[in-house]
Amino acid sequence: MSSSALKYEAATSTSLLTEVSKRSGQNLQACYQCRRCAAGCPVGEETGVTPDRLIRMIVLGDREEAFNNLLVWKCVACYTCGTRCPNNIQTARITETLKQMAKKSHAKPLIPRIADFHSAFMTSTRHLGRFNEIEALTIYETKTAIKELSQGKMKAVIDEMIGQARLALDMMKKKRLHLGVDKVKARSEVQALFAKAKGR
Amino acid sequence: MTQLAYYPGCSLHSSSELYDVQCKMVFKNLGIELKEIEDWNCCGATAASKTDEFLAVALPARNLGLAAATGLSEIVIPCSSCYSRTLVSQMTLAADPGLKASINDELSQKIKGDIKVSSILEVLLPKARSGELAAKMTKKLEGLKPACYYGCLLTRFPIDVNVPDDVENPQGMETVLKALGAAPVDWGYKTDCCGASASVNDADQSQLLMSRIFNDAVGRGANCLVTTCPLCQFNVDAYQDAVGKKYGIEKRLPVYFITELIGTSMGFDPIEMQVDRHFVDAMGLLKELNLL
Repeated sequence: MSSSALKYEAATSTSLLTEVSKRSGQNLQACYQCRRCAAGCPVGEETGVTPDRLIRMIVLGDREEAFNNLLVWKCVACYTCGTRCPNNIQTARITETLKQMAKKSHAKPLIPRIADFHSAFMTSTRHLGRFNEIEALTIYETKTAIKELSQGKMKAVIDEMIGQARLALDMMKKKRLHLGVDKVKARSEVQALFAKAKGR
Repeated sequence: MTQLAYYPGCSLHSSSELYDVQCKMVFKNLGIELKEIEDWNCCGATAASKTDEFLAVALPARNLGLAAATGLSEIVIPCSSCYSRTLVSQMTLAADPGLKASINDELSQKIKGDIKVSSILEVLLPKARSGELAAKMTKKLEGLKPACYYGCLLTRFPIDVNVPDDVENPQGMETVLKALGAAPVDWGYKTDCCGASASVNDADQSQLLMSRIFNDAVGRGANCLVTTCPLCQFNVDAYQDAVGKKYGIEKRLPVYFITELIGTSMGFDPIEMQVDRHFVDAMGLLKELNLL
């Protein structure tokens, strides 16, 4: 954790803690750092930051660290941490909340691929009312390729294309690739919910 | 025939169509007619809860309105993600009448009543306990040693839910399969995460998670994996070969939907059940064990 987590500022600290607590519905102040969540976190080894550390960052008001650590973006929302928490804090709700807040404030996600995937999923769902694997993956892969090409990551883009083409071929062989377009008839109703979400 | 409302969700209408076909076949043989709710939409899965709190509740809420319109008292949702999101939406709305009213304003079929939202296991378990499943059995699943894979969302929820099984060591699938003569193995990764959508957007991470699952299942002597979740099934089936090669795991395990094994015990035609639509061959083991 960066040293900035140790600097306490009453104003920012209160607002981040209050905002995350309110949005996530979790009582972060109940955390007494027993680290049971850390022991069970399946991505903890890779993220370095574990749920208890994330809670600490928020309590201390370290906005920068709280949004830009690997746990927030790599959390697989398996809900193991919260299920085992003796104080009933569901940290996966906190990582979800921080991602939502980052999106709302147009902050740059630490791992764009992850944010772009979820956003492509929602774009497809808004369009058809149902998740369309081909449409969502096309939106996601195009967006990712453009971003990564502009950063000169040619090899990553080619590897991704080859990987996805292989999977698509495999799916076709096994009759798992669905080419039809399933649509909700009352799409306007689904889209009205999306509009309402945007206005909130 | 008992009627149950049915929400297949997007997976069962696309890459996991086989699960939809199998659910209908198995339930029909158990005297249950699945009434698919009209014009359902995507539940938002994990993407909604990672992008927008309102939509995470509102998308499944529209389906709850459609379910209420059927007049039936129970809805079965085979996909773990759809099941979890729908149940969480229902409970969230029950606790927040203002939100419910705000969503209802947009819906032609209003959310009303409190239809019971059930996972596939909640419907199958009583049938196993009452002996109805065994009574429909024409072939005992002898020689089958499944590692029952629950994944995350059948037993762990973002809010407090009364889970009808042991959260750390669930036994629902084992109970069903034991009733049909299978010998499920005891193993440690039954509720571990496969990475879900990370297989697309964070591949190294999800492949590491899957390698742990395969290592333990193989090490415990399982000859197949069994799941109820189409997202888990797709991941541990489609990526198993790549993960095996990357992590030096030689053995490949077919990944069955629980309905495939129940259907096999009922003597259903494997091709009609689309058992040939797996990435890791799923027909061979059934043949080897004389279950076809």
